Amino acid sequence: MLQKRKNYLIAYMFLLPWFIGFFGLVVGPMISSLYLSFTQYDLLTAPQWVGAQNYVEMFNDRKFIASVKVTTTFVVIGVPLQLIAALFIAMLLNKGLSGIGFYRTVYYIPSLLGGSVAIALLWKNIFGMNGIFNDFLGIFGIAGRGWVSHPDYAIYTLIALATWQFGSSMVIFLAGLKQIPGELYEAASVDGANPFMKFKAITLPLLSPVILFNLVMVSISSLQVFTSAYIVSEGSGGPANSTLFYTLYLYQKGFSFFEMGYASAMAWLLLIVIALLTAIIFFSSKYWVHYEYGGKS
Amino acid sequence: MKKTPILLFVLLHLILLMACENIFSRNDKTVDSPSDILNGPSKQKVELRFTWWGGEERHNRTLRAIELFEERHPHIKIDPSYGNFEGYFENLTTQFNAGNTPDIIQFGGNLNDYVYRGVVLPLDTFIGNELDITLHDQSMIDAATFDGQFYGVSLGINTWGLLLNKSMFEEAGIPLPHITWTWEDFIEISIQLSDSLEGVYGTEYFDHNGFGIFIDQRGKTLHENGILGITYDDVVDWFQLWSDLREKGGALPADLQVTSTLTPEQSLFVRGKVAMTLIPSNLVEAYSNYSEDEVIFHPHPNNEIGRSGVSLRPSQFLAGNKYTRYPNEVALFLDFIVNDKEAATILGNERGTPVNSEIREFLLTNSSEMEREIFKFIDWVSITSDAPYVPNLPGYNETSALFLRISEEIAFGKKTVEDGAREYWNELEKVLTQYNK
Repeated sequence: MLQKRKNYLIAYMFLLPWFIGFFGLVVGPMISSLYLSFTQYDLLTAPQWVGAQNYVEMFNDRKFIASVKVTTTFVVIGVPLQLIAALFIAMLLNKGLSGIGFYRTVYYIPSLLGGSVAIALLWKNIFGMNGIFNDFLGIFGIAGRGWVSHPDYAIYTLIALATWQFGSSMVIFLAGLKQIPGELYEAASVDGANPFMKFKAITLPLLSPVILFNLVMVSISSLQVFTSAYIVSEGSGGPANSTLFYTLYLYQKGFSFFEMGYASAMAWLLLIVIALLTAIIFFSSKYWVHYEYGGKS
Repeated sequence: MKKTPILLFVLLHLILLMACENIFSRNDKTVDSPSDILNGPSKQKVELRFTWWGGEERHNRTLRAIELFEERHPHIKIDPSYGNFEGYFENLTTQFNAGNTPDIIQFGGNLNDYVYRGVVLPLDTFIGNELDITLHDQSMIDAATFDGQFYGVSLGINTWGLLLNKSMFEEAGIPLPHITWTWEDFIEISIQLSDSLEGVYGTEYFDHNGFGIFIDQRGKTLHENGILGITYDDVVDWFQLWSDLREKGGALPADLQVTSTLTPEQSLFVRGKVAMTLIPSNLVEAYSNYSEDEVIFHPHPNNEIGRSGVSLRPSQFLAGNKYTRYPNEVALFLDFIVNDKEAATILGNERGTPVNSEIREFLLTNSSEMEREIFKFIDWVSITSDAPYVPNLPGYNETSALFLRISEEIAFGKKTVEDGAREYWNELEKVLTQYNK
């Protein structure tokens, strides 16, 4: 018994650096941001307690409501697109083509680069007024426009950028596809099933746990999207608030407008929304996620 | 056997500690070098961090001035950090909060926002010692004085005017406007330029800086003692003017306008998209250097009754961080930047015309033709100006972003002129109330 406890002690000592990081860099800041969300705090002078005022103010703040709309649009359109693109590419790459390793790498690259500033800048130029996207449209005689600089289209270029970064969900899908026993497809073929029926009756149900995982991960990261919008609009959320993502507005409030208390309140609200959304997805999974071997896999 | 984990543990932490040591040992370089000992009682080595925003031109000039300062004061090292305007103040505010703020900071018209929050170094105790402001224009000293305390040297006197692309005017066969032209002339010329030049628009949108002039022309002030001096109608008129001009093709369409930037080398004017733009006088040289065409700096159009509304303004301020360890050296550096002849020769007019009258005269005899043109322009404004200097609204970052956003929403037809104007006016009231508390 004593021996066992001693071993635990050693284990905890090894974990100590991680604990220091966890408490110092995650738990500590979270608690202080919770406190700050109940204060008026301009970052330069001491915070003043204002109770729930920040939380109340949000619902009368037009920009806040605009930012919620932008982020909701992004999640509702972007998440399914990202998942479909990732699954589609994963299925292509699951075929036994020659040089498949090379393609897998190539298709994964965008998600390694995707979150970077350089890619957002590149994207901004591709879809700018004189960008190559418009040159491409020009070949077909279509007059392009400033895709990132028009409020009706700017968000869709950002959705396209996010969709293009399907790599990490794709890899997970690919692993999931590999797990599906080939015999099932063979048996289905013998019974005369066409590819679509095989996809519907075998691939989707057996892949559903992986879809659940990807859905949760992509939803969370979509709610938190920041870099691309910040770069494309140079931090303004423009044109005309069309790319004012929730996190971008949070950043503006905290760092440009001297309202860190309000920004903290926004951050906590986002945390609650993410938790709720995840809970809803998990709850709904009872009805559509299929676990082979009675849910033990 | 059992000892191995403990050994590993100790080893791991030792490595971590070694990594940390670098952080701990970085400070306190007070050990005298041999040369200091030879030179008798030595001054302590001082390192000051200096941050500013700007374009390429400003960076090059400032870095050269820093070199000169370090030659003059070998015991002081200036550690520069510089970049674009975008993100500059967000970064600065974060640094203040984290306690690693640079010692010397370039502020813009939002100096008041930081003074108000008590993080700017008051300079009164250094005046007459490290810092000399006896030859500075009183109005520029006043602009950096809040509640009787002086907080920053003005880096230059500025005035707004229109930059015209002379080559484009010639190509279009349109004569340059008279120096006392009106908005009506401006509108007409913009449309003519757009019509006669392929892929070029007459003018870009003037944004909140232009709005300020527009208000001054009506003999009003944007705000005074926390009270708005404008009416809803003033805002409507401004947005309507631009909305009409955009419709008639004289002004840049909305989706091009939003790509506008404050950095000269990337501006729409330099890229040849527009023939006219509103800029502060200190940037004329940078714009003209980067533009392939011949450009000319021209007075802003007047209103119907001939008021110009343009005043002399401080361009930027150089100020100290209140928590700096070396306030005296900070003051010394500020003094060097605004009062040293050689520094002035290097920095030129890039941050505005020097506020020190002696330096100004000195530069006048030692400057390029372009610079002399600007000096003359500034002189002309100082004689003809009919508008007082009005400091920026409090909450500058927020109110300027608000104005831009509403301008964009109107330009894209997302809001009517009336709705946009109403929203701006209401929001502005809210901000002012917040700061009056």
